[in-house]
Amino acid sequence: MDIGAVLENAILQFIGLNACYYAIAAIGLNVQFGYTGLLNFGQAGFMAAGAYGVGMTVSIMSISVWWGIGLGLLYSVALGLLMGAPTLRLRADYLAIVTIASAEIVRLVVRSVKFKGQFGGTDGLRNFAQAFQQVGIDLGLQPAQDYGWWIFTFSGRNLWNLIVGWSLVAIFGVIVWRLMKSPWGRVLKAIREDEDAVRSLGKSVFSYKMQALVFGGVIGAFAGMMLALGNASVQPDNFSRDLTFFVLTGLVLGGVAKVTGSIVGPMLFWGFYSFLDGLLRELVDKPVRIGDFTLLQSTDIGVVVFMIMGILLVLLMVYRPQGLFGNRKEMAFEGR
Amino acid sequence: MTQPVVGTSNHPTCGRRIVIVAFGLFLGLFGALGALLTPPGMASAEGESIQVQVKDQRRTASGRADNQPVAGVSVTVVDASGVEIASVVTDENGVALVAVPAKADYVVKIDVDTLPDGLALSADTPAEQTVTQDSFVTSKRIVNFFTGESQSEELSDAERISQRFADGIRLGLIIAMCSVGLSLIFGTTGLTNFAHGEMVTFGAMIAYFLNDRGIHILLAAPIAIAAGGLFGYSLDRFGFARFRARGIGLISQMVITLGMSIALKNLFLWRFGGRDKPYLDYTNQVGSKIGPITITQRDLIVTILAAVVLVSVALTLQYTRLGKATRAVSDNIDLASSTGIDSAKVIRLIWIVGGALAAMGGVFRGLDEQVSWDMGTSLLFLMFAGITLGGLGSAYGALVGGFVVGLLVETSTLVGVPTELKAAPALVILILILLVRPQGILGRAQRVG
Amino acid sequence: MKDADTPVPEQRELTEAAQQARAALASVDAVPGAPKPDPILVAHGIRRSFGGIVAVDVDRFEVQRGSITALIGPNGAGKTTFFNLLTGFDKPSTGAWSFDGTPMDGVPPHRTAARGMVRTFQLTKSLTKLPVIENMKLGATGQRGEKWWNGLFPWRWTAQEAEIEARADELLRRFKLDHMRDEYAGALSGGQRKLLEMARALMTDPTLVMLDEPMAGVNPALKQSLNQHVRGLRDLGMTVLFVEHDMDMVHDISDWVIVMAEGRVIAEGTPDDISTNTAVIDAYLGTHQGRSLLEDEL
Repeated sequence: MDIGAVLENAILQFIGLNACYYAIAAIGLNVQFGYTGLLNFGQAGFMAAGAYGVGMTVSIMSISVWWGIGLGLLYSVALGLLMGAPTLRLRADYLAIVTIASAEIVRLVVRSVKFKGQFGGTDGLRNFAQAFQQVGIDLGLQPAQDYGWWIFTFSGRNLWNLIVGWSLVAIFGVIVWRLMKSPWGRVLKAIREDEDAVRSLGKSVFSYKMQALVFGGVIGAFAGMMLALGNASVQPDNFSRDLTFFVLTGLVLGGVAKVTGSIVGPMLFWGFYSFLDGLLRELVDKPVRIGDFTLLQSTDIGVVVFMIMGILLVLLMVYRPQGLFGNRKEMAFEGR
Repeated sequence: MTQPVVGTSNHPTCGRRIVIVAFGLFLGLFGALGALLTPPGMASAEGESIQVQVKDQRRTASGRADNQPVAGVSVTVVDASGVEIASVVTDENGVALVAVPAKADYVVKIDVDTLPDGLALSADTPAEQTVTQDSFVTSKRIVNFFTGESQSEELSDAERISQRFADGIRLGLIIAMCSVGLSLIFGTTGLTNFAHGEMVTFGAMIAYFLNDRGIHILLAAPIAIAAGGLFGYSLDRFGFARFRARGIGLISQMVITLGMSIALKNLFLWRFGGRDKPYLDYTNQVGSKIGPITITQRDLIVTILAAVVLVSVALTLQYTRLGKATRAVSDNIDLASSTGIDSAKVIRLIWIVGGALAAMGGVFRGLDEQVSWDMGTSLLFLMFAGITLGGLGSAYGALVGGFVVGLLVETSTLVGVPTELKAAPALVILILILLVRPQGILGRAQRVG
Repeated sequence: MKDADTPVPEQRELTEAAQQARAALASVDAVPGAPKPDPILVAHGIRRSFGGIVAVDVDRFEVQRGSITALIGPNGAGKTTFFNLLTGFDKPSTGAWSFDGTPMDGVPPHRTAARGMVRTFQLTKSLTKLPVIENMKLGATGQRGEKWWNGLFPWRWTAQEAEIEARADELLRRFKLDHMRDEYAGALSGGQRKLLEMARALMTDPTLVMLDEPMAGVNPALKQSLNQHVRGLRDLGMTVLFVEHDMDMVHDISDWVIVMAEGRVIAEGTPDDISTNTAVIDAYLGTHQGRSLLEDEL
């Protein structure tokens, strides 16, 4: 068994593309869930909005991929308004129900045969990221050449993805951090704790909640765009409920209402996930049997790791709801 | 292996340990379940391969596609330059595995003449499908061919409409049955339980596992329902009752249910496998005509049984002391407690009954369609739409709302909603209701301040 | 402004504002729904029922500008519901009301507050997870930095923020909370939270301050200073309407008392009128006991 290789891979995943777009999505979710107390269980829907925004440009609309940024923004804003309008005046549960359902409907629509012409059906969309990759090449990163040192060697193509992705993480991290220090952020945090108090002070709670929902969703859309451009493809089943769950667990692991938590949490989550997955794959090279009962075989591992992650989320919420970086005093959820 | 008994251990202290023990027991229960339910080992091919699957999507009497495998169809794979790689015939699972030299572009062709009589490729499946190099996500690329009826016997509009209504009524009854627990748990504790769908799947799974061991479904079903009740009991006793006592907030609890949902769903997938499977009894029944609708005896009995159960639930709530206590707690827990109702007991009871009803709904759904690892999850949205429509927290609301949503979803295909997007109208209903009358049909506006 | 530190003698000199308010109310008949010479708040036919039970049914209700008006009544009289209705937190089945001449029916709560009608809550809503000073700053209206597009550009709001902070600090000093300035509001005692909530409400620059049971859960030592603060509001030209059970406070500071029972206004008058009003005593005690209510400390 090669524990070194497993660790090496886990470390690479820790800073890899997946961790990167989870982090972007978690920064967005943190604005909604962490700071404002909005239960968005449909971040995957916003990510799909961004991903399909860039994905549709070249292959469906025959326009430059850069228009996709605007398109993705448009989709995510529309989705946010649609989710928020009926729910944000009501108690928190309704938003949770509507977001989780909307994200699922978005996935069903983009994978449907009916709209295959628009979204590519179950195959998804591809061949749209060339212009994006070309910028990396123009900056001197040869796609096939390796860069870096020790275990941190990346192909030029990956390196370009990572540079752009982590820059986005940094940009959104700073933006959110700044905003939460502003009076705007103060209103959001106050809403999280007691909306009636905020209302009684003359502020439109509905409007602020909508702003937070849409803003967090827009950041989620950027995560989706990064996913699409980095993988050079979009597939509908990338955007299942599991994606929302990954982002949420990462955020809770890091600690809600903390920008560092929302960035490092998803990285640790994905690093840990990869480690566990790699470790189990190393351990279970042949089916584990008890008598003639097959407990575990290699094809099960993905599923089992998933299951463990679900249990991890439960345990985190029970025993350390403030996560690794959170502040118990300012712990987010117990307001309402 | 742990004994598959959900113990009622009496450690008064140390909630932490009990939660962990409960988890352990729970996993043990499933380990044991899995021990009896070993999925057939899958042939995992080394290197790159293309797995061709031929599935029949002919509609059964009740109008659903159930993806029956089609065997004996010959399939050819050629590479980009037109050189034939292999030509194989699908096995009894409708699967043909073709090893390919590398991740590259290929064309997969199906020989339509080898399809069984009466079958043809469905309209949206071409006889040749192209596989591109980058569509190999893993080493195995799956290519599906779907078949349908070669010449469908046209149903008259009246027949189509009444058929959809009959199916809608059945789905509505099942959703209503599954939703009672979800709604009452919300009404009494304020918790929106995102793992409720898995409680439905749980019932269907237990029944399947017993059935698979040779126990007739008529016996397996009641055992599964009892297990569902026990499951609900354990969730409250070892989970949510303790979370409430620890002062864990509702929003945290909701996130917990999301984690539980993911964990359970994957547990089911692990032990049950990804394929839909029918119960062994009462399959392949021929539908008989009753008036304008064709319905199998099984589906008819499911419909009648579900209706009887729901009426009994409603009568119990209306007339018995327990039912009245339940409604009182759900209406206003403080007021109910002050009149001497033991609300903790009522909540425990709701979890048990809700779990049992969800399990029953799961078994019925499994009979109606097939058993699958995510059947409950896909019903969950419909349940949410139903209880929101009926009035969140109201028992009768869950019954009425669930029924209406089931009916609307099934009949939505009549007005041109594609079958694959059948769930979408439920979301539309949900949003409309929230905009127009957020308290639902039977709910009351809440007092503020 | 009056120095809050000096102990108040039992029989105070009435300030000019208080004398004016009492003089204006002297000519008003002590009957339910009596019209006031210069009402800031006028309500007509407000009804609210919950599932068949009528919680509020007020025919006419007026509050004199610049006065301190107490709203009293036994538990369940509908006082808090009435507050909720007036401030837009709840919607009446029927009825209309106006504030400073502007119709207010159907106005959402945040607009109510923005128009100068601010309220506090029976169960204090101090934001325990924000520091005291942040609680205060939240109260200020018209903040440029509260627009999301400005949030990122501190130079567009720091100057205003500094002004707001100065105002908040001054209010904190006045309410003797300055030593708690940087603590989380959760660290405050119940009474201090009441003070904080009132101070925060003042940050909105209101013309009408509506206090829902300001004395509930406040220790006696703090009550005196709370009383003074409420009086101070009148001296600063604000109108105060408050719900209270503490009859000492009612008698002590109010210029006018309105009594509700079973959703209706059953009596109005000066504190002295009310303490001898038999309808009020009946409402509180169920039977006519022939005793003065306010001596009795209910």
